[in-house]
Amino acid sequence: MSIDTTQTAPRPTPPTAPASASQAVSTQIESRRRDLASSAFQLMLIASLMIVLAALLATLASVAPGGLEVLRSRGVADFIQRPFSIRPQQTGVYQGIVGTVTSALIVTLVAFPLGLASAIWIEEYAGDTRISRLINVVIRNLAGVPAIVYGLLGYAIFVAGPFKSITGGRSVLSAGLTLSVLVLPIVIITSAEAIRAVPSSLRDGGYAMGATRWQVTRTLVLPNAIGGILTGTILGLARALGEAAPLILIGAKQSGFSAGNWGDLTGDFTALPVLISDWPTRPVSQWDGVTQALILVTLVIILGINAAGIVLRNRFTDKD
Amino acid sequence: MIPTDLAGDTRRRAIDRGIGICMTGAAATSVVISFAIIAVLFRDAIGFLSSVDFGALSNSIWSPRLGRFGILSPVLGTVWVTLIAALVAGPIGLASAVFLSEYANPRVRRIIKPIIEVLASIPSVVIGYFAIRFIAPELVMRLFPGSPGKNLMVAGLGVGLLTIPLMTSVAEDALRAVPQSLREASYGLGAKKVTTVTRVVVPAAVSGLVAGMILSISRAIGETMVVFLAAGGTGARPTTPLDGGLTITSAMASVASGTDNVAGVGNAFQSIFFLGLLLFLITLSLNVVADRFVRRVRQKY
Amino acid sequence: MISKKLRLAMATSVVVPALALGACAKKDSSANNADPATKAKADTSVSGKIVVSGSSTVEPITALVREDFIAQNGNVDISVDGPGTGDGFKLFCNGETDISDASRPIKDEEAQACVDTGVEFIELKIGIDGISVIAPEASPVKCLSFADLYALVGPESEGFTKWTDAEPLAKQLGSNTSFPDANLVITAPGTESGTYDSFVELVIESVGKTRVKDGKIAEDKIGATRADYSASPDDNSIIEGVASDPGGLGWVGFAFADQAEGLKLMPITKDPGGTCVEPSSATIQDGSYPISRSLYIYVNKAKAEQNKALAAFIDFYLDGLDGFVEAADYIPLEDSSTTKSLWTARTVGTQQG
Repeated sequence: MSIDTTQTAPRPTPPTAPASASQAVSTQIESRRRDLASSAFQLMLIASLMIVLAALLATLASVAPGGLEVLRSRGVADFIQRPFSIRPQQTGVYQGIVGTVTSALIVTLVAFPLGLASAIWIEEYAGDTRISRLINVVIRNLAGVPAIVYGLLGYAIFVAGPFKSITGGRSVLSAGLTLSVLVLPIVIITSAEAIRAVPSSLRDGGYAMGATRWQVTRTLVLPNAIGGILTGTILGLARALGEAAPLILIGAKQSGFSAGNWGDLTGDFTALPVLISDWPTRPVSQWDGVTQALILVTLVIILGINAAGIVLRNRFTDKD
Repeated sequence: MIPTDLAGDTRRRAIDRGIGICMTGAAATSVVISFAIIAVLFRDAIGFLSSVDFGALSNSIWSPRLGRFGILSPVLGTVWVTLIAALVAGPIGLASAVFLSEYANPRVRRIIKPIIEVLASIPSVVIGYFAIRFIAPELVMRLFPGSPGKNLMVAGLGVGLLTIPLMTSVAEDALRAVPQSLREASYGLGAKKVTTVTRVVVPAAVSGLVAGMILSISRAIGETMVVFLAAGGTGARPTTPLDGGLTITSAMASVASGTDNVAGVGNAFQSIFFLGLLLFLITLSLNVVADRFVRRVRQKY
Repeated sequence: MISKKLRLAMATSVVVPALALGACAKKDSSANNADPATKAKADTSVSGKIVVSGSSTVEPITALVREDFIAQNGNVDISVDGPGTGDGFKLFCNGETDISDASRPIKDEEAQACVDTGVEFIELKIGIDGISVIAPEASPVKCLSFADLYALVGPESEGFTKWTDAEPLAKQLGSNTSFPDANLVITAPGTESGTYDSFVELVIESVGKTRVKDGKIAEDKIGATRADYSASPDDNSIIEGVASDPGGLGWVGFAFADQAEGLKLMPITKDPGGTCVEPSSATIQDGSYPISRSLYIYVNKAKAEQNKALAAFIDFYLDGLDGFVEAADYIPLEDSSTTKSLWTARTVGTQQG
């Protein structure tokens, strides 16, 4: 997973569209004879964007009709409340939702505080020392480590390693902790960016009033940075929930026969993306419809969380 | 002598110090995680390497459960998939970025950016499903009749689609970092917009564009699920992208999945740590290089 | 103002997943089953806990029985897992599980482990798993012997790219099947799959043993096929891969192959020159089709006596046995009365020769 800048928190907007002066000049020059090369170039750019758009539409179109059909005839409630069955007409995604939502909660409880605290340390406490520069480099590199490598780490530490007695091995707890480690760098980077964007005059004012560092951070910096921090966290969360590879490495149940129930943190588990990797391997004629429904449910959850993050971001950036 | 009231009351300072320690501890977690990754990968990769002959790695086939560890198969597969992905994501991502940064007015941007964000947030396993149900039958098998339904080309196209948003966003950032004065100077000399964009803006942003390309490649190399679902999983060395095959990542995933699952014994399971180390080192060096380029942009302007 | 905004924000970050949680929390533990596989009636007076582990091949059958059982009696908590037959027996003989699913009879040393820990078991044969060797419908090949299969996909066949490449080896093994002059394109389950293991055990190893005796190949090589074939965890792509190439060859579970179109289910003979038998429910049931294996469950006798729920579960299992086995895409036993009487009499020990 590398640093995906499409998904980061608000940052100071870079200089926008050409300033009016240059625009005026360029229109002057071009308006009369728009030559072939210019139009061809622009057409090519638009065509590229159209390919992206078409691919996105085709992706959604490849699951929406079949998936909706199943959800309508079965009922959404039925589909999300039933556990896995080898009978496609009776199978459901209950265990997948349990696994995905439970790991979301664990990620929120673990990665959010830890990431926020790290970001505060980097921006407010550390100063520009050699150690803080080292930690910065470490975090940036962690953000670029492929997700599946985090799966190996999770396996070696939480599943088979020192924490086995706590996590119960291949469990949703191991999954949540592994995903927490995976999103931690994203949370730190986006939170640090949001904190950095808080004007230092605010801090100076606080210190001038005799506040301690923590008081300044808590009462002045965080309330102003929280929008960006939240956005980063939510987008990171959405990213973590879509990951299948690390969960396969730490031993998620691919079928879901015996995966767990709410509150069973240390038993067998599965998750929605893991089910998506398994169901297409079952007999297509019977399973394709439910597979599409499964993907639809997953997309609604993940795109929903993403949308929440984007709405929040726009809300907070508008205000700034 | 410092007046005590200026130093603040001791409770307040104690809280402050305590919290400072907590924050330091939190930040240290990342360092611990990094060391853990390196330690785990090296420990088990070395454990694996010492349990197999070195000659075994030059075997023609990768099939760990059969004791065949021909490392060239997943490496070649990775090269093919990454190459195809880069050929898809590079031009399309760059063109989209140029359009967004140089041509689109704010209203168009407001529509297009979220679309690309939606694409970026689709889980890779869903793109994998799309690859086997759409890209394979509708594109690859039509363009190359007689190719198997799952092959490196299908996987590469899927991974390319997945990396477009990353390429677009890094490239767009790079283009927008080019100072307005350069564009104005170009217009001032009577250059047309297309000339300004291709001869001035893009060359000025080249470090950032290269960084974007490297990051996309690094992401493509690390992508697992699309390849796992769509590449076919054959352990023989691929000779063309229309062969079925596996990549470093999908080879790891297929060892870890299946009926004997993670419990898999002996060096078959350990082999994935070797693959993991290889993957980690490749992506790490790519990211470090990309970081250099990004920083060069920052220094320049 | 200790930052209301901060608290609010933290709260919302938990709200998103929590909402999703709330939406699904009403799930009923006994999923109503609209369409049970059989008419078997579960004993609704019992309650308790049953733990099943073992073969991943048998797991779907037991999971189906569990599903239908708890639809009638939600007071019994049943967990079904499928780490593999061998792992299952380890847990079973340690007394950690009540039932062990198995895709082969218990081995002597495994049975000894049970004796050592004092676990007495009842062995119940429940169904048959048949494997089809598949080729495209138009394939000119009429029949393959185990020797042919060994020559085509066995460990010694590596590097053969045409069917005719395998002919000398097949001849050496006593076969005189003439192979077509076509590319040999093999698509089959990956090594992680139970179907792969069964195929190797039933076909490759039986021929391989004679090769080892003749000193042609090392013993540790015969537990596998050639490695240079397209391995897929996905039966759909195996069938696609085989059907789309004139020289295609592969193997999948019988039920899967039987439903697919454009395929030839290859008639098989164990010995070269013997009678070729096409796979079908009937030929797999009566044992005349050679690539098949029996499926078992092993029940801990002492636990079945203490735990009423366990006994009720097995009663239910055997009551609807053929329906469950068929619904899970396996072949039912020709006559399940022996199994039923073994259970009624609680006969301890393995029934193997």
